[in-house]
Amino acid sequence: MDHSSLAGRIFRGIALALVLVFFMFPIVWIFLMSFQTNEQILRIPPHILFEPTLANYQALISGQLRTTAGNLEISFIRNLMNSFALSSAAVVLALLLGVPAAYAFARFKFRLGETIAFTLLSFRFAPPLLVLLPLSLYYQQLGLNDTYFGIVWVYQLIALPLILWIVRGYFEDISPDIEHAYRLAGHSWREAFTRIAVPLAGPGIAAAGLLSFIFCWNNFVFALILASADKQPVTVGALAFVTASGIQYGQIAAAIVLSVTPTLLLALYAQRYLVEGLSLGAVKG
Amino acid sequence: MARLELNAVGKSFGPVRCADDLSLAVEPGEIVAVFGPSGSGKTVLLRMIAGMFEPDKGDILVGGQSIVGAPPERRGIGMAFQNFALFPHMSAQDNIASGLRAKAAAGEVASRVKSISRLLKIEHVLGHMPRELSNGQKQRTALARALIGNPEVLLLDDPLRNVDAKLRYEMRLELPNLLRRSSAAVLYVTQDYREAMAIADRIAVLIDGRLVQIARPEEIYARPASVAVARLFGDPSINLAEVEPVAGQGSFNAQVAGTAVRLEAADREAADLGPCWLGVRPDDLVVTRQAGENAIPARIVAITPMHEKAVLLLRFSDGSEWLAALPQDSSMASAEDGVFVCFAPEAALLFDRATGLRVGLPYRRQAA
Amino acid sequence: MLEIRNVDKVYQSRGKPPVHAVRALDMEVGKGEIVALLGSSGCGKTSTLRMIAGFESVTSGAITLGQRRIDELPPARRKVAMAFEGYSLYPPLTVRENIAFALKAQQRSHGEVSRRVDAIARLVEIEDILDSYPRSISGGQQQRVSLARALVRDADLYLLDEPMGQLEPQLRAVLRGRIKGLLAERGMTAIFVTHDQTEASALADRIAVMEDGVLQQFASERELKEHPANLFVASFIGEPPMNLLETEVARADGGIRLSVGPEVTFRIEGRTLDQGARQMLEQTARIRVGIRPQKIAVGSGDVRVRVVSNQWLGDQSHVAGEYDGRLLIAVTPNKIAARPGDIIPFALEPRHLHLFGADGTCIRHAEAA
Repeated sequence: MDHSSLAGRIFRGIALALVLVFFMFPIVWIFLMSFQTNEQILRIPPHILFEPTLANYQALISGQLRTTAGNLEISFIRNLMNSFALSSAAVVLALLLGVPAAYAFARFKFRLGETIAFTLLSFRFAPPLLVLLPLSLYYQQLGLNDTYFGIVWVYQLIALPLILWIVRGYFEDISPDIEHAYRLAGHSWREAFTRIAVPLAGPGIAAAGLLSFIFCWNNFVFALILASADKQPVTVGALAFVTASGIQYGQIAAAIVLSVTPTLLLALYAQRYLVEGLSLGAVKG
Repeated sequence: MARLELNAVGKSFGPVRCADDLSLAVEPGEIVAVFGPSGSGKTVLLRMIAGMFEPDKGDILVGGQSIVGAPPERRGIGMAFQNFALFPHMSAQDNIASGLRAKAAAGEVASRVKSISRLLKIEHVLGHMPRELSNGQKQRTALARALIGNPEVLLLDDPLRNVDAKLRYEMRLELPNLLRRSSAAVLYVTQDYREAMAIADRIAVLIDGRLVQIARPEEIYARPASVAVARLFGDPSINLAEVEPVAGQGSFNAQVAGTAVRLEAADREAADLGPCWLGVRPDDLVVTRQAGENAIPARIVAITPMHEKAVLLLRFSDGSEWLAALPQDSSMASAEDGVFVCFAPEAALLFDRATGLRVGLPYRRQAA
Repeated sequence: MLEIRNVDKVYQSRGKPPVHAVRALDMEVGKGEIVALLGSSGCGKTSTLRMIAGFESVTSGAITLGQRRIDELPPARRKVAMAFEGYSLYPPLTVRENIAFALKAQQRSHGEVSRRVDAIARLVEIEDILDSYPRSISGGQQQRVSLARALVRDADLYLLDEPMGQLEPQLRAVLRGRIKGLLAERGMTAIFVTHDQTEASALADRIAVMEDGVLQQFASERELKEHPANLFVASFIGEPPMNLLETEVARADGGIRLSVGPEVTFRIEGRTLDQGARQMLEQTARIRVGIRPQKIAVGSGDVRVRVVSNQWLGDQSHVAGEYDGRLLIAVTPNKIAARPGDIIPFALEPRHLHLFGADGTCIRHAEAA
């Protein structure tokens, strides 16, 4: 039962280190790969020590991919910008639609309310490939194929249910009496929504927004089918590294490092928010 | 200032009737306590007045104008909640200031917040966030927020429920004076009969969604409308026995645990009395060692001191039990057999066993 | 019977300073005695109960029950029965099975089990729900089942954690009487934890008042009220709490004079004070004088107060009066016909006064009742 014995502390340290190495290994390995040439990477056995090179990053930023078969144009930076633009726009739209909807689901009991909420959630369960075929046909007819708006719209399938369900939980945790008190003080329900409900659910809204940003960012199939090269995000753009003369592992690694970094930072940030949001629930009322 | 009136208000949730034909009027400057056991519909009643639900039937008027259907923000109502319902992201100062419905000038808001918080003794915590306040300070902040806008109707939903006993007692003394300063019509919900008696001008007793008696506290205590009301007022609660009074000359007799007890003929129709509940408050019992007329033999099972009195659990020969509350320095303060219990005839209350209503008083639902 | 000797409880948690929940606790409980551990939350009363039950280890010190040292034994071998604050009823069992559980485990005969269950069920008025399941009954009923489950057992010691807090108000006074009667009749020894002093004084023979992990006083209710050990006990015990007045003290021919306010002074004869008290009074010019609201007579006397509130509660009046800028509360069984703003007299008799020194210790004087 004694938690502070020396052997116990050493054992715990070793166990934690092992777990850390296990989980961090892929990230560290990719990070190292991004500073190696293809030849260095494909050497067997692999070497831990190598001469780092920035060639991979140079190639990505300049847009010139040198392969044994010649120079290739790649639009990685444009893809990266696309990822930012598409994911942000999708999240902003989903928040504008989802937060009021979540409030309605949390506060008002209406006919078919649960059914509608569950249907929206079930969009997350459906395999994307199932909806893609009919969706691409519709998009062609509507003229939404290969448009930014089209992709932002289809991203709502990812972002909206997530925001709706997470934020709804946060709204339900706020005592309705708090809003009643504000309304009795002479404020309309809109004011009660914007000044009381939204700020109190703020950490939840932020966390849901960040999570759905990450999910949108990571999406692959929707943009692959519904957009062409100049509107595709990095996830799809990375396909360009599979070239006729082989797979460019070094550039892929560099591309992964560049594209993962923002979401990784966001994830760490979101985690802080989630914790804050949960502890706020404990002091409410 | 305006009068609050409920006219035959009814409300059901599915099969559950939470409010059944409720009629009540509260004058400006008057404090009416709505008192009843939990689940009797007190909170639903307040919430209908505040506009969180609409009644199915009847009308609610403030100053003669119906407020049914009006949104909460236009009803001119201030409310304090049992769980305080402070805005956790605003300081105590901003919480209180939010209660000023009129968009008053900043200087005036500050001065009014200052004066109300001085009255409630929370000036020193105005800058604190709700989570930094003690329960007592939270409750005072919530009261300040409800009072600051000088509402015509003030609803207090068991505001002392979540504060500790000492603070609750302090507030019980302070609240009536505080509430009378604002000449609002006050409805005060509570589950504690002492709180209701201490604070209210009149008490409206709500049982199972019905108002069974509306009267001044002393009146309810002395002349409860029904056996259910009698059981709610008094701690320990009233002793009951099933009796079948038999009319005598100018009096009538009843058998309590096998002993004939003479009761006063408070009621001329004594002869018509069928099966009754006899009710005697523990304070009205006398316990002696002397046998005598009207004295019921009993055994003292236990003595439990309470509120500076000795409460005796008495068991009669038929197994039934009564409680007697005696002064703590009484010589009866030790367990023993063979004592006798008696009470003055005028201390006895009789209730019809079928209807539960007190016998000898025309039963009226409406306030006099 | 039960002896708690110099027991300490320290909770260690990583990254936080250790919490000293119980300090040097010394208590003895006699056979057949009913003892209340009374205090506000965090005072150490529940830790003490859990140490006796065996759910918490003792950091230092010893607990003996009968002749057995029990603080190292597992809970099941201590011969104690416990009713938990959260009830902890077994959900898949009916009320009857819940109550009978421990008796059946002891291989009691079928007839004896059902006789004992029925008897205790009658006592706490749960006969009509014996075949229900815990989730289908109200909180008050669950608490009564939990009490019955503890009291039906054969144990050397009964431990009850907040045993009656959730009971229906109309039933509470009767059940207190019945349970006290049962415990006395069977000579059962019981310790219960409560934050409610009404419950403590109703049930207990002696009350242990705790604060900050320290036992402040362990005495009968009457003793606590009449001879509180210190200012904390004096202001904690009693509803409404004791009136306390800052008072100037001066020596006056052989005794002391207390100036409570304008025109109101009391004389305490020197011979009624012991040596320690006399010394303390010589060193200080201001003390606190306390008087219980129930000991103030209303309508006579020379303390003229302005009535702030006068509340009749059916069996007693609570009159709050302002005197020299301070609030005095009096409780009398009579109905008082004063209105706020009226000036009425209060009588404070010297024998009912409690005197407290600057450090909160009680100064005994023989004129105290």
